[in-house]
Amino acid sequence: MIEVKAVEKNYGSKKILKGVSFTANKGEITCLIGINGVGKTTILNAIMALTPINSGQILIGGEPIDKHTFEKITFIPDAITMLPHMTIAEAMEFMNDFYTGWNQRRATELLGFFRLNPSDKISSLSKGNTAKVNLLLGLALDVDYVLMDEPFSGIDMFSREEIANVFTSHLIENRGVILTTHEIGDIEHLIDKVVLLDDGMVTKEFNAEEVRETEGKSVIDVMREVYQR
Amino acid sequence: MNVNFNNRDPVYLQIIRYFKEKIAVGELAPGEEIPSRRELANKLKVNPNTAQRAYKEMEEQGLIYTEKNHPSKITTDIKVLGKVRNELLDEAVDMFVTSVRSINVPVEELLDLVRVKYSANDDKEA
Repeated sequence: MIEVKAVEKNYGSKKILKGVSFTANKGEITCLIGINGVGKTTILNAIMALTPINSGQILIGGEPIDKHTFEKITFIPDAITMLPHMTIAEAMEFMNDFYTGWNQRRATELLGFFRLNPSDKISSLSKGNTAKVNLLLGLALDVDYVLMDEPFSGIDMFSREEIANVFTSHLIENRGVILTTHEIGDIEHLIDKVVLLDDGMVTKEFNAEEVRETEGKSVIDVMREVYQR
Repeated sequence: MNVNFNNRDPVYLQIIRYFKEKIAVGELAPGEEIPSRRELANKLKVNPNTAQRAYKEMEEQGLIYTEKNHPSKITTDIKVLGKVRNELLDEAVDMFVTSVRSINVPVEELLDLVRVKYSANDDKEA
């Protein structure tokens, strides 16, 4: 489980996170939802210790983050971090050099799944295919938790469907996923848990299926209630 | 396999309903093997945990059964199978009655209309 406890973060005098708390379980897909600028990416950065927090605590599997954590958790940012002149094959080699948890068998499977050509240069890829390579590089690591920042933004609907298919496959099974998005539409049925953020705080944390069952509401219904007050 | 899920009913119940419909019309035969939980999640594009929950519930209702190390199968229990059909029929008629009651039609007139529409539909399909 990833536990985010009362995390506060300021950039200068600007308060970005004002005491954010939520949990994300292993084997579940947790979705952080909020409009732009609400602090979604900052939360992911904080979980990965890419940015220092002013107060609060983050635990991964009950332990605070240290250098070994990075073999248990991976972060897929919203833009690919590989050098553009690299081919997909070279990028995979690069990952293999850096992470003991790199799983080439799974990487090869993902290449087929996304119909990517390993000899293609990353700079020559379409936006959708770049996003798929980015996802591949993260998902091919044998880690317990995967964080994804806006995996669907700016991508055509067919690529979006292909990416969404990953979530229903064994490539994600048993792992804990936290993803951020501002449009929930096509993934409503894929997510276990929703964390709604507004103005640096968690306004609501709920299980999607439970809300359908006990209140007869869709995720979007709940969002409407929370955001249009 | 293609299901249009609505967003307001629990997805696992919608999956169960989908199976019940297939059983009622005989598309899923008694004793027939059904996809694994993972296959189902992938085909229906739903969360694997939800598929798991649907199967668990169906097992509890006796709709499917699983022997060790084998794929799950549709029940062969005639009683359970008969109940599925009645249940769906009941539900559909209830819904129809509720919506038609607000119009306040004498039942004979209604039944005549149903007869006409029902056979017209048959002709179209034939």
